[in-house]
Amino acid sequence: MEAPQYVVARVQQALAEDGRTHELGIRVDIRGDQLFLRGQVSGAEQRERLGQVAHETAPELHVHNEIKVVDAGAPGEDEHLD
Amino acid sequence: MIDLRIAAVGDIHLGEDVRGQYRRKLEGIEDRADVFMLAGDLTRHGTLEEGRVVADELRGLSIPVVAVLGNHDYHSDLQYEIAAELRDAGVIVLDDDGVVIQCGDKKLGVVGGKGFGGGYAGKCASEFGEREIKNFVSHTRYIAEAWKVALKEIVADHRVVLSHYSPIKETLEGEPPEIYPFLGSYLLAEAVDTAGADLILHGHAHKGSEKGMTPGGIRVRNVALPVLGRAYSVYCLNCEDEFHSHDSQRQAG
Repeated sequence: MEAPQYVVARVQQALAEDGRTHELGIRVDIRGDQLFLRGQVSGAEQRERLGQVAHETAPELHVHNEIKVVDAGAPGEDEHLD
Repeated sequence: MIDLRIAAVGDIHLGEDVRGQYRRKLEGIEDRADVFMLAGDLTRHGTLEEGRVVADELRGLSIPVVAVLGNHDYHSDLQYEIAAELRDAGVIVLDDDGVVIQCGDKKLGVVGGKGFGGGYAGKCASEFGEREIKNFVSHTRYIAEAWKVALKEIVADHRVVLSHYSPIKETLEGEPPEIYPFLGSYLLAEAVDTAGADLILHGHAHKGSEKGMTPGGIRVRNVALPVLGRAYSVYCLNCEDEFHSHDSQRQAG
């Protein structure tokens, strides 16, 4: 059985290099046969694509897609640099 | 006292599926800021289609828009084509050079480009060994030198540096330290500290922190959208007369 560290590296590489995702900042953890994705993306579709690529890369694992979709809010208070 | 207001964001990572959404968040920006700056990673994969989405989102804003590209915008080797699309839409795209923008009665100089990595003083790559490592470091060194020259040449009341990669470690806090050498280089900060500037804006580090400063005391802001959690932030440069004369002296020196 492949060591989980190598599977994590392979999934992270796929998320970064797969043409559907190209996402660099996603944390991947494996515990037993469970794979966890964590991080932030700008849209729900990107989150789904990341889950799909992770699943295809490690089909033997159950993927928990815990990635958060961040909706950029209205600008807040101005900062004065004096 | 009149403030010069700079709206800034990086890492908006637009694509066809979110077309129109970011533009809606820019409504009223002309009332909040005098200029809008984008710190790279405007696209996801650096495709021309994504570049056109970005251009359309930024087209026709009534304040000047200045942008640099990021590593994602280089991914498809179409960075020059993307920059051309943005320029056609009226965006000023910096590529290791500078521009002076008239904001009311003040001249704002903006210098910048994508920047690059290498790491931070004491824990960085050096121009030694294999050709690949030397190329990596010399690319950053070339960029830093270009910024220094551009900053020294620019005549303006205020100078801002716009980058994608980070010049300092402080604004990377939250990212794993092991990847710092891929997130920026101290050579960028050293160049700006040597030439002088009022503010450095960068993106790239989505899990980093917003605020920091260079060893020379220049304020640095990581404006990556996931760090800000908003469509953009506004930074106001104080335009007091006293500050002016100080800045002019520094530039002359």
